[in-house]
Amino acid sequence: MPFATARCVSLQGAVGHLIDVQVDVSQGLIATNLVGRPDASIKEAKDRCRTAITNSGFDFPVSRRVTILLSPADLPKRGTHFDLSIAVSVLAAAEKRDDLRRALSGTVMIGELTLDGRLRAVPGVLAMTMAASARGIKRVFVPEPQTKEAALVPDMEVYGFRSLAQVIAHLRGAEIPEAEPVDMNTSGALLSWRGDSRLAEVDMADLNGMPDARYAMEVAAAGGHHLMLTGPKGAGKTSLAERIPGILPDLTVEESLELTAVCSLSGVLNAEDGLIARRPFFAPHHSASRASLLGGGTGRVRPGELSRAHHGVLFLDEFPHFTADIIEALRQPLESGEVTIARGEETATYPARGMFVLACNPCPCGEYAANAPQSHCTCDEVQRRNYRNKLSGPVIDRIDITREVRPVGRHEQDDPLASPECSAAIRERVTVARSVQAERYAGRTWLVNSLAPGAVLRDEWPLDPVAAGKLDEAIYSGRLTRRGATRVHRLAWTVADLAGVDRPGEQELETALQLRTGEPLRVEVLRAG
Amino acid sequence: MKADSDERLARAALGRLTEPGDPRVNGLVQKIGAVPLYDSLLQEKDPGENLLDSVASRLVDLDPRRDLERAARSGIRFVVPGDAEWPTQLDGLAHCPPLQSRGGAPLGLWAKGPLRLDEVESSVAVVGSRSATTYGTEVAGEVSMHLAEKGVCVVSGAAFGIDQAAHRGALAARGKTVAVLACGVDRAYPAAHTNLLNYIGEHGVVVSELAPGCAPTRIRFLARNRLIAGLSRAGLVVEAAVRSGALNTASWITSLNRVLMGVPGPVTSAPSEGVHQLIRSGAAELVTRAPEVMELVGVAGEALFEMPRAPEKARDSLAQVDAQVLDAVPVSKAVPADSIARTAGLGVTTVQASLETLTRKGLIVSSPHGWRLSTAGWQ
Repeated sequence: MPFATARCVSLQGAVGHLIDVQVDVSQGLIATNLVGRPDASIKEAKDRCRTAITNSGFDFPVSRRVTILLSPADLPKRGTHFDLSIAVSVLAAAEKRDDLRRALSGTVMIGELTLDGRLRAVPGVLAMTMAASARGIKRVFVPEPQTKEAALVPDMEVYGFRSLAQVIAHLRGAEIPEAEPVDMNTSGALLSWRGDSRLAEVDMADLNGMPDARYAMEVAAAGGHHLMLTGPKGAGKTSLAERIPGILPDLTVEESLELTAVCSLSGVLNAEDGLIARRPFFAPHHSASRASLLGGGTGRVRPGELSRAHHGVLFLDEFPHFTADIIEALRQPLESGEVTIARGEETATYPARGMFVLACNPCPCGEYAANAPQSHCTCDEVQRRNYRNKLSGPVIDRIDITREVRPVGRHEQDDPLASPECSAAIRERVTVARSVQAERYAGRTWLVNSLAPGAVLRDEWPLDPVAAGKLDEAIYSGRLTRRGATRVHRLAWTVADLAGVDRPGEQELETALQLRTGEPLRVEVLRAG
Repeated sequence: MKADSDERLARAALGRLTEPGDPRVNGLVQKIGAVPLYDSLLQEKDPGENLLDSVASRLVDLDPRRDLERAARSGIRFVVPGDAEWPTQLDGLAHCPPLQSRGGAPLGLWAKGPLRLDEVESSVAVVGSRSATTYGTEVAGEVSMHLAEKGVCVVSGAAFGIDQAAHRGALAARGKTVAVLACGVDRAYPAAHTNLLNYIGEHGVVVSELAPGCAPTRIRFLARNRLIAGLSRAGLVVEAAVRSGALNTASWITSLNRVLMGVPGPVTSAPSEGVHQLIRSGAAELVTRAPEVMELVGVAGEALFEMPRAPEKARDSLAQVDAQVLDAVPVSKAVPADSIARTAGLGVTTVQASLETLTRKGLIVSSPHGWRLSTAGWQ
């Protein structure tokens, strides 16, 4: 039977579908047809594959009718990585070789072909390999430069090839021919600069003063809560935010794999580096486009900065300057930890479970400060009001912790007894608090307090009765909305977890309320922390 | 000038025998003198008010000479009235009625640190809640730093919260600070402030009326508060809940007829409630920053503080009529004088005169169609 099936993976966002690439070579009107909702880049695969096969010294069945189906046929597909699976199954079908056909089953083949039959790297290899693994595939062929990337997936047999000829030889059990190495030509850093490694050097020990902002950061890191920092220009909001990755616990293997897959999908993974081990920190400017932040772009839907900050920190400085459109679009990722981009034909979903840190100035010029005779604010009351109005609404309601950052005073800077704690010491407490939560939520779908559903929390992990009464009081007195109360409840648990308390009581509730409303914290709370 | 050694010995001994701030001791010392009082107790004669009964059990292993020697070896001195170093502002306490049955001038002060007690003439007690908020510690630190920069000594109790923030603010300015303890100056209470107390012992001074080695008790804290007030020319309460030791210190300040000041907080904040009551009742003056404190503490009229004002705008200095006309000039579309006159409700001739003034001041611009606001006039 002149028929063969090879397998490949199609990605829709971070979701991978296993695709059967079926080829039938039979008598009939001479033609090569590609069906199964390919996009433009796959349609061109016909030409690439034919020349690649011919130039690799094989025969393309030019005098036959070749039908290529990407099955399931109703799923739209895109990408050039189908080339290898198409070429191999064409050869297997045309030569009617059973050994080749058998070797194809249980293998996923990924790679783009050049006209001379060489195999080029493609973005998303890690995500595709993970998807294949999740569907029981145990063997994957990838372009040689991406072998390391695919090998990050556990229990997967990974083969890297330089050319189509090498793949065919391997499938036939013949001697592998020599081939020139192929460059990794997906994007990579052209220059190396200190920007990236600089973040590894910053430490909380560099910052004097700001005791309550430090504590707020610790709580945010421990419970995965989103955080908003307000304060005049130069008060230290950015300095604080860029130190958050340093107090977060190390990435777990699963988190690291997810994050590496997202980077692989954006085509920015440096294959030499292997798994990403450092928590990402992204600080997109407020003029950034919606597509660059949330994901999208022409052609393939690429993950945006939000997703690239998955399991890390996304710092949105000058938050009120972001467009209303983007602010609204942040609602879903803030609530559910993922971004969905829907387009006519396809819907792509990417993870975006990073910690959001929003920063804003007290006014557009950033100089307004109460009780500061040297304030040089040039804004009028209307400008200030318009600026503040952008901070209201559903997005801000989803931020658990608000904190005012005041410029570090001379009394703190010159304090001879100041001994600011280093990031490692804080990280240790955060790690303990996170493991307490993981233990409590064992068997659930979430690991941290910030993601615990409110109803479940109220049912199974209530506050102690006195504290619960106080929380109700806060709702009835109009100090809190119901949603706000749920957030305070979650925060109270994080405060308790950090303090090593079994169940949040009155003091933990009070601290949680202060964190949420932006009131100053009690110093004895900080002392314990 | 130095007090004679018998006087010093008698006072050290009396300090060992009695609890600090016992009003009976103060009265008897004033009436018969410290040396005769000590002698009569040694001879087991009651000097009056049943004092002998109270001290009898402590007479057994009393050795004030050893106390003084030991203290001197650890760099601790015992300052008594009559010494050049004696801070005379403490004498005010002798004439104050007791509060919560504590009162009177101290018998002497055990002191550790390079700062001489007669150099703390100009001093402010900065006190407040141990259970303070970061708002309170921030204000206390900042105000104390500014005071210390002006040469004012910051007196406080080295407790958690406001006290430690006040000391550290003064130290940040490399200024003078005095920590008054309710235990021996060789002990660190609270233990978490060992570093702080060591540092003050090296750069400021740590004092107590209790001999080295003594432990803090509730009653000794009350006596200590009276010393914080007595050593200071004025008192500043930053945050104090309705039941706070800082309010006890505040009462002493009032009782000594010295200036009491309070820093307000949010009206919803429990730790500020006590301060708000002090301000409301008129006991304390409201202050928000160091220059306001200086104004009240300094010599009359010397440190007058200029009221903070919003920046002056060109509009502010206009005559009433001109301001009225300016209000009637449109922002963007120029209009003729008669239209402006109608809007302003003024006569055309008045308006024309005003328009000229306003143009000269650059607040409006004229065009072929009339007048409109300039950028300066718009702001």
